Amino acid sequence: MSRIPRSVTLRLLQVLAPSRGWMLGGAGLALLATLAAIGLAALSGWFIAAMALAGAGGIEINYYTPAAAIRALAILRSGGRYAERLVTHEATLRGLAGLRGWLFRRLIPLAPARLAALRSSDLFARLRADVDALERFYLAVLVPAAVTAASVVASGLLSGLVLPAAACALLLGTSLAGVWLPLLVQRRAGADAQAVARESAQLRGLLLDALRGHAELVAFGRDAAHAARIDELAARLDARRTRLELREGLAGALAGLVAQVTLLAVLGLAIAAVPAGRLAPAMPVMLALLLVAVFEALGPLAEALSTWPSTRTAAVRVFELVDTPAPFAEPKSAVAPCSHPAIVFERVSLRYAEDAPWALDAVDLTLEPGARVAVVGASGAGKSSLIGALLKFYPLQRGCVRVGGQSLEHLDGDALRRQIAVISQQTLLFNQSLIDNLRLGAPDADAGSVERAVQAAQLEPFLATLPSGYQTVLGEAGALVSGGEARRIAIARALLQDAPVLVLDEPTEGLDARTARDLYAALARAAEGRTVLLITHRLGGLAQLVDEVVVMAAGRVVERLPVAAYLART
Amino acid sequence: MSETSANAGAAAQSPASVANRADGGTWLNAATRRIRRPLAASAALTALLALSSIAQAWVLAAVLAPVALDRAAPRRLAWLALAFALLAMLRVAVSVGARRAAFGAAQTLARGLRAEVLRDAQALGPYGLRERASGDLITRLVDGIEAVLNYVARYLPQTASAVLVPVLILVCVFPADWISGLVLLLTAPLIPLFMALVGRAAGKASEQRYSQLTRLGAAFVEALGGLVTLRQLGAAERFAQRLDREGEQYRVLTMQVLKLAFLSSLALEFFATVSIAMVAILVGFRLLSGEMQLRQGLFVLLLAPEFYAPLRALGGLRHTRMDALAAARSLAAFGAEATNPPAAAVRGRSAILAGPPEIRIEGLSFGYRGRDAGLRDCAFSIAAGRVTALVGDTGSGKSTLIQLLLGFAAPEAGRILIDGVDLAGLDPAQWREQVAWVPQNTHVFEGSVRDNLALATESADESAMRRAAARSGFDEVVARLPRGWDTQLGERGLGLSGGQLQRLALTRALLRETARVWLLDEPTAHLDADSASRIDAIIAESAGSRTVLVVAHRLASARAADRVVVLRGGRVVEQGTPDELERAGGAYAALLEAEAS
Repeated sequence: MSRIPRSVTLRLLQVLAPSRGWMLGGAGLALLATLAAIGLAALSGWFIAAMALAGAGGIEINYYTPAAAIRALAILRSGGRYAERLVTHEATLRGLAGLRGWLFRRLIPLAPARLAALRSSDLFARLRADVDALERFYLAVLVPAAVTAASVVASGLLSGLVLPAAACALLLGTSLAGVWLPLLVQRRAGADAQAVARESAQLRGLLLDALRGHAELVAFGRDAAHAARIDELAARLDARRTRLELREGLAGALAGLVAQVTLLAVLGLAIAAVPAGRLAPAMPVMLALLLVAVFEALGPLAEALSTWPSTRTAAVRVFELVDTPAPFAEPKSAVAPCSHPAIVFERVSLRYAEDAPWALDAVDLTLEPGARVAVVGASGAGKSSLIGALLKFYPLQRGCVRVGGQSLEHLDGDALRRQIAVISQQTLLFNQSLIDNLRLGAPDADAGSVERAVQAAQLEPFLATLPSGYQTVLGEAGALVSGGEARRIAIARALLQDAPVLVLDEPTEGLDARTARDLYAALARAAEGRTVLLITHRLGGLAQLVDEVVVMAAGRVVERLPVAAYLART
Repeated sequence: MSETSANAGAAAQSPASVANRADGGTWLNAATRRIRRPLAASAALTALLALSSIAQAWVLAAVLAPVALDRAAPRRLAWLALAFALLAMLRVAVSVGARRAAFGAAQTLARGLRAEVLRDAQALGPYGLRERASGDLITRLVDGIEAVLNYVARYLPQTASAVLVPVLILVCVFPADWISGLVLLLTAPLIPLFMALVGRAAGKASEQRYSQLTRLGAAFVEALGGLVTLRQLGAAERFAQRLDREGEQYRVLTMQVLKLAFLSSLALEFFATVSIAMVAILVGFRLLSGEMQLRQGLFVLLLAPEFYAPLRALGGLRHTRMDALAAARSLAAFGAEATNPPAAAVRGRSAILAGPPEIRIEGLSFGYRGRDAGLRDCAFSIAAGRVTALVGDTGSGKSTLIQLLLGFAAPEAGRILIDGVDLAGLDPAQWREQVAWVPQNTHVFEGSVRDNLALATESADESAMRRAAARSGFDEVVARLPRGWDTQLGERGLGLSGGQLQRLALTRALLRETARVWLLDEPTAHLDADSASRIDAIIAESAGSRTVLVVAHRLASARAADRVVVLRGGRVVEQGTPDELERAGGAYAALLEAEAS
C-alpha cells in the first residue's frame, strides 16, 4: 500500500474512492439544483421589474423567453434536488458498504494483543457510532461545503457582470455569514461544547448507574446521595447547554443580520448606480432577489461546519485504530502444522507491557501428542498467558513455542489455530441460529457430524426445547442459553472443529456443582484421542480428564507430577 | 448465567409492555402538555418573528419598486432603510428568544422525565427493577430522555412555524394581491397532503432503514466483541464477509427506501417551486398590463418562498420525531410497570441492633409461579453470631432469599423476624445500614476504584480502604490496574474480570465495619482456591460479632459453616450441621458427591 496521507480529509476521500464517479455526479447535481434555485429567484425579480417597467412605459417586451426560463428553472430545481439526493446517497452507500468489513479486517490481526483498549462495551458502541459518523462526511460535510462555495462564486461572477461593487459586497457578506461567523462561534464555544459532551456522557453514566446499580445504592443507603449527584450535574449541564444553545441561536440570527445588511448595502450601491446609467432600472430588483437566494443557500454550509469537527474526531479515532501496528507479521511462506503435533514451550517469556511483571517467565513445558495435562495455579500465575502464547495471540519477548517441531514464527496463525480447539469459561454465542453458532469453526460440517457432535456434547435435551430446533436464533449474546448449555455448545463446536489439540480454560467455572458434574462426560468425549491442555485454579472433578498436573506460580512452572500424586497431596 | 436474566427477558415481552408499545404518540402528547406554557411562549415568538419578516418584505418592496421605476425619493429611502435595519435587529432578538423558550421547555421536560424514571425505579424496588427492566430497556430509557429533549427543542418549534408562518403570510398577501394569495392557498394544502401520502410509505420505509442500520451496527459490534473467539475458530474472515454482505444489502435496501422517501420531498419541492414560479409569472403579466403595482408584486414575490420554507425544514426533522416516538414507547412501558407509589415513605420501627441478631424465617413464600428462583413456604433460623450456609442448585431461590432479607421486595406470605421483630415493620434504611451485602452480580459504578469503594460507607478513609483491600485480596487487583486506585472503572472505563469484581464487592462489604449482618451471595465464585480459602477465613473470623448468611457456591465454604440449609425448587429440603447432613446422606450429601466426582 502507498504511503498513507496524513490529512484526515485526504484519507477519508481515499476510503470513499471506490464511488468517486457517483460522488462527483452527486456534487454536480447538487450544484445544478442550487444554481437553478438562485437563478429562479434572480430571474423572477428581473422579470417582474422589467414587466412593470414595460407596463408603465408602454414598451413592447419579449416575455415568452423569461417566462419559459422561469418554468424551466423551476423544474430543474425540483427535479435536480431529487436526482441529487438519490445520487449522493448512492455515492455514500457505495463508499461505505464495505467500510465495516474493511475496518473489521484491519482489526482482526490486532486482537487481542493490541486491542486491550477495546475491552469495554462502551468503546465498541463508540466505534460503531464513529463508523456511522463517517457516513456524514460526504453527505453532510463535503457536498454542502463544495456546492455552497461553488454557487457563491458563480453568483458572485454573475452579479459582477452586472455591478462589480455588488459582487464584492456579496462575497464579503456570504463569507462573513457562512464561514467566519460560524467558525468564530465554534471557537468561542469550543470549551463549552467539549464540557457539554463530557458532562452529557457523565450524566448518562450516572443515570445508567442509578438504574443498573439500584440494588447496591439502596443496600448501601446511597440512593438519595446518588440522585442528588444527578440533580447537581444536570443543573450544571442544563446551564451550560442553555448558554451554548443561545450562542448558536445568536450566531444564526447574526448570520441573518449580516444577510440583511449586505442586502441594504447592495441595494444602496445599485440605487446609486441606476441614475448614473451604469445599471438598468430592473437590475436592483434582480440583485436583491439573487442575494436573498444566495444567503438561503448558505444554510447547509453552517450545518456542514458544525458537523465537521465531530466527523473529523470520529475519523481520527477510526484511523488511529486502523494504523495500530499488528503484533506479528504473518510469515510469507507459512508452514502448515503437522496433524498430531507435539507442543513445546522453550524458555518462553511474555509480558503485556514494557513495565509489566513477567506473565510467563522462562517457561519450559512439553506436551507430547496425546498428552493430557492440567495446569493449575492461583490467578495471575500465568495459566491464561500460556494459552495466549500457544494460540499466537501475543508476541513473546524471549524463547519460542514449537508446534510439531516448527516455531510459531514460521506457522500461519490461522492454520495453527485450526489445530487447537478451545473451550473456555466464557462461551461467546452470536446472534445467529444455533446451527451457525455450532458451525463457527467448521462451516462445512455436514448434518451427520453436527448430529454426532450434539449428541456427544449432550445438547439434545436443550435442542428439544428450542422452538425452531437448529434454526432457532440464540438472541443477543445468547440470551436464551444458560451457562451449562453454553458450555455444551462450546463442546459441540470444539468437536466439530476436530482439532488434534484441545484447550480447556476453566471449563466448569461459574456453574453449580451439579451442572459441572453433568458436563464431565461431555468434556471427556471431547477430549478423547486429543492432546489436552486444561487450565484451572481448582482441579476437582476435572482431574478425570488429565494424567498429569503442572503447577504454575508467578509465571513459572514449579513442578510437574502425575495427577494421582497431585491429588494425594491436596 | 444469573437466575434473573431469563425472567427479565420474559418480562420485557409481557403483555403490558406490548400493549404500551402502540401509544408512544399519546404518551409524547401527554408529556408535552406539561410544558404547554413555555411552548406557547415559543410559538408566540415564532409568530412575532414571522410578522417581522413580513414587515421586512413590505419595506424591501417599498424600497425596490420606486428604484426600478426610477421614481426614488432619497429621503424616503433612508427612512425605509432605517426601518428595515430596525426590523432586522428585532428579528435577531426574537429568534434568540424563541429558541431559548423552546430549549428551556425541553430541558424542563427532560428534568421531569429523569426524576420520574428514578421515582419509578424506586417504586419498583431493586428486585422489581431487575425483574422488569432488562439492561437494554434501561439504556433505551436513559437515551430516550435525550431524544425527547431534541424533539421538543427542535421538532415542535418547527411544527409551530410550519403552521403559523403560512397562515400569517396568507393573511398579509390576500389584501395585497388576492390572485397570488389564491395560488398559495390552493397549493399549500397539496403539500402536506402529498407529503402525508408519500410520507406514510416513506416513514415506514425509513423506519425499516433505521432498523436495518441498527442491525448492521449491532452485527458490527457483535463481531468486534467476539473477535478473539472468531480468531480462535478461524471464523474472522467469514464474519468480515458477512459484514460486507450486510453492508451491500443495506445499500440496496436503503436505496429502494430512499427512492420512495425522497418522493415526498420532491412533491414538496415541486409544488413550492412551481407555485413560486406561477406567482412570479402571474404577477409579471399583470404588471405589464398595468393591473398591478410593482410594490405589491415584489411584496408577494418576496414572501412566496418564505411561505414554503418552514414546511421544507420540517421534512428534514422527521427522524427527530421518530426517535422521540421510539423513546416514548420505552418510557411509557417502563412507567406502566411502576404503578405502585414509591415505598420510601415507610417509617418503620427503629432497627438499631445491639449485637448480631438472630434471624428467623417463617413460612416465607415469594414469586413462585412454576419457574425458577421463587420461594415456597421456607422456614429456618439463622443463629445470632453464627455462619449459616445456604446451598442448592442454580434457580433454587438462594439469591431471592437474600433479596428479601435486604428488604428489596416484600414477602408474599410469611415473615422474616429480626431478633423477633418483623422486618416488614422496621425502618428499611436503618436495617440496611447494619447489613453488609456481597451481591451475585456486582455493579461497577462509573468513577475511580476509590469512588467505587467509598460507596460502601460515607466515612471510609484511605487507610480503611487499604486495610479492607488487603484483607480481601483486592489490593493485588489494584496493584495490577494501570492507574492503581485512580483507575477509572465502569462503562466508560476499564472492565473488571469476574474474580476482580468479586474482590471489589468483598472489599465494599468489609468497609461496612458496623454491619451486624453479612449477606454474602456466592462470595468465592470466580476465585482461585487460595483466594477462596482466604475469604472463608475472613468469614470464620467475623463469626461471633456478626450473623452471617453465605450462599455457598463451593461446598468448602459450607463445610466450614455452623449450619447448612439446603434449598431445592424454592423449598428448604434439609438443614443441620455440615457433619450431620453429610452423614445423613440426603440432598447435601448428594451435592457434596456431585462436587467431588
